[in-house]
Formats: sequence, structure tokens, C-alpha cells
Amino acid sequence: MDCKTANDLLPLYFDGELDRTTSREFETHLDACVDCRAALIELDALRQALREHAPRYSAPETLRARIQKTAATMTAGTSSRRRPSRGLALAASWVLAFAAGGAMMTLWNHASSSVDESSQLSRDLFASHWRALAATSPIDVVSTDQHTVKPWFAGKVATAPVVQDFSDQGYALIGGRIDYAGNERVPVLVYRHGKHLIDVFVLPQAIKPDTMPVIDKPIQSQGYVLDVVMLGGQRAAIVSDMGSAELERFRGLLSALR
Amino acid sequence: MSPTGSHAFVDDLALRHLDAAYNLGRWLLGNEQDAADAVHDAYLRAARASDSYAGGNARAWWLAIVRNCCLARLAIRNKEKRNVAIDQHPLTAEHWMPHTDADDVEDRIDSAKRQRLITQHLQNLPDHFREVLILREIEELSYREIADLLQTPIGTVMSRLARGRALLQKALADNVTMQAPYGL
Repeated sequence: MDCKTANDLLPLYFDGELDRTTSREFETHLDACVDCRAALIELDALRQALREHAPRYSAPETLRARIQKTAATMTAGTSSRRRPSRGLALAASWVLAFAAGGAMMTLWNHASSSVDESSQLSRDLFASHWRALAATSPIDVVSTDQHTVKPWFAGKVATAPVVQDFSDQGYALIGGRIDYAGNERVPVLVYRHGKHLIDVFVLPQAIKPDTMPVIDKPIQSQGYVLDVVMLGGQRAAIVSDMGSAELERFRGLLSALR
Repeated sequence: MSPTGSHAFVDDLALRHLDAAYNLGRWLLGNEQDAADAVHDAYLRAARASDSYAGGNARAWWLAIVRNCCLARLAIRNKEKRNVAIDQHPLTAEHWMPHTDADDVEDRIDSAKRQRLITQHLQNLPDHFREVLILREIEELSYREIADLLQTPIGTVMSRLARGRALLQKALADNVTMQAPYGL
């Protein structure tokens, strides 16, 4: 790589916008070129100066309160218009309550023994997510193409999961990896939503009821949320630091897959 | 998505990225009251347009609305004043503003002073350079996100960023060389 090309690529490299191969070529040039190194140091000095000294103004509490107040009045306005559907919602909620009650009764026998295991499982999943965030790359197979990711899994786990890219909806597939939950190898699909990294652990079908404990509600840990979803007939756990609305949207996309 | 659902979505989005929105507004408009008003306008507009959100990067969508509200306020303000704000023209500004550093050359460049200096130079940059610098360096948005937000090609983002950085580097360097003989 000559200095002219390197000079053009320098800001892209600095802003993390270069792909890996080109980054590596650029770094090779950087090792040999004093001028480019100096230019990179200057860019970094400017960034440091801006981050340290240019104030990032935080929103005043009064603004937050004002928006919350407006939000409350607007929600009140919409719900009064939607009142007719209340009766239906109530009926639906009764049906759900009965169904959930029935499910709870059958789970009851397992509950006492599986509480520890399910907290162990959720700990495993959170730990795997954090480990992935701390690593240089959270993915083993880097691809935005679902037709690459699925076959990659096929040779590594018993059942290859359903893989679908949701770039158009704002949840881009960026790859996959294999991790362990308990004693099981589980495929992990990695998505990106804005700055949020999302791991989807596709949990293996339980051979005996006790080998894979059940997590039946979202679990929070240090700002990260774990939620479960049925992904094409398999149970899957979503772990990320997205907000509840974004998580709910993503959950909807996944559960719509067949 | 149901109306209540999309409301909740916009509420969550706006409140989560409130600091980013306010920071952008504060840098574009230059004062607290206008920035707060613009962000509130943006919230109303986003809530009304929530059904038109067609997926994609939600933060960029929200910040784009904030930016439009800021630009609308800037346009009104400039019309009312009839004069162009002094900080819209870096050259004029440089000409009229005394180099504050020359006044207290004996001082060491402490943190507060450095902050004033950088804020002033950043404020002196033309709007479209200042905003990409804020979005990239402070809000840490990617090129793609900035391009979506400004609704410009990614190449434009890159060239503005490069130019903005160069201008700011030069401004800061000039300040330092000017000080060196006295300051050290």
C-alpha cells in the first residue's frame, strides 16, 4: 500500500470503518511509515481533546420532566379513544390467565428442582454474552448472509437453528458462534441493532425435562435483559442491553419465523 | 403497530437518547432554552409521525427529527435578526473576537481554559462541519448512521468530517503556536 492510498484510508481506519483485511494491510503500511503514524496520532489527539474538553451537554431534568408529562397526556388521549376494545382485552387476559395457570400447575412439580438450574442457565447465558462483548470479536463466523451462517452451524450442532437477517427492520444479522450453556453446545446468532449487540442462544430440545430448565419471564442483570422466545419450534434466549420496546419488536420478528 | 405501542416506542426512544438529542441541539443552537424547546418540538413531531417510522436505525431517525427542529429554529432566528450570526462566519468571528488567550498569557493552560478554547473553536466552525464532528467524536455514531441522519451520501459525511477535523486542528494549532513564546 502506498502513502497516497493509506492517507485516504486513514480516517476510515481511525473511525473503525475499514474491513479487517484492509485494516491489516493498512497496519502493515503504518508500521513502516512515520508520516501516517503522525497523522493518526494527530487525529487521536483531536478526538481526546474533544471528548475531554468539549462539553457533552446533558439534558436538564426539566426537559425530561416536560417530555414525560407530554407523553402522559398523549397516552391518556389515545387510550380513551381505544376504550371499545377493553372488553375484548379483558376476555383475552382471562383466557391467558387460565392457560398460564394450567401451565404453572404442570410446572409446579419441576419448579423446586429447576429453580437453581434455571438461574444457573441464565447466569451462563449472561456470562457468555459479556464474554463475547469483552472479546475482540463476538463472532466466530462473520457474515450478514443467512445462507452462510446456517450451514456453518449445520456441521457443529445437532440441529441447525432457523437463521434470518432482519437488516430491513433494523436488526442486522452479523454472524454466529458456538457457546456452552450448562453441558450443552448451543448455537448463538449475533445481531446488531444500532449500538446494541444482541445474542440469540438457540437452546437445545430437552431430552429429559430436567436437563434444560425453563425460563418463563424476562430476567435482568446489570442492565442486560434476557428474554425467551420460540424460534421455529426451538426455545431461544435473547440477551442484550436493548430497551423493552426494542426488545419486544425483535422478539416479535423472531417469533414470526417458521 | 398499535397507536399506544408506537407511542411507547417513541417515548422510550426519546428518553433514552435525550442527552444525545439535547447535546446536538445545544451545539447547533448555542443556548440551553432553544435546545430544550427544539428537543421538545422534536418529541411531539416524532410522536405524531411514529407510524411513519419504517424500521432502520431508530436513534438516527430520532436525531434526524431533532436536527430538523433545530434547523427550523435557526432559520427563524436568522430571519428575525436580519443579521447573520457572527459565529456563522468563522473568518468574521476571528476578525472581531479578540484572542482571549492573549489577555492572560501568564496563565497556564488549565483545563477550564482549554475547554473554553475548544468550545469556542468548535462553535466557530460552520454548522455542517460542527455537527458531523459532534455526531462522530462525541456521540460516536457510525458513518452510516450520520449519513442516514443528515440524509446525505456517506461520501459527503466523510469529506465534511475530514474538512471539519482539519479546520479544528489548524485553529487549535494556531492558538498553541501563538501562545508558546509567552506561555512557556
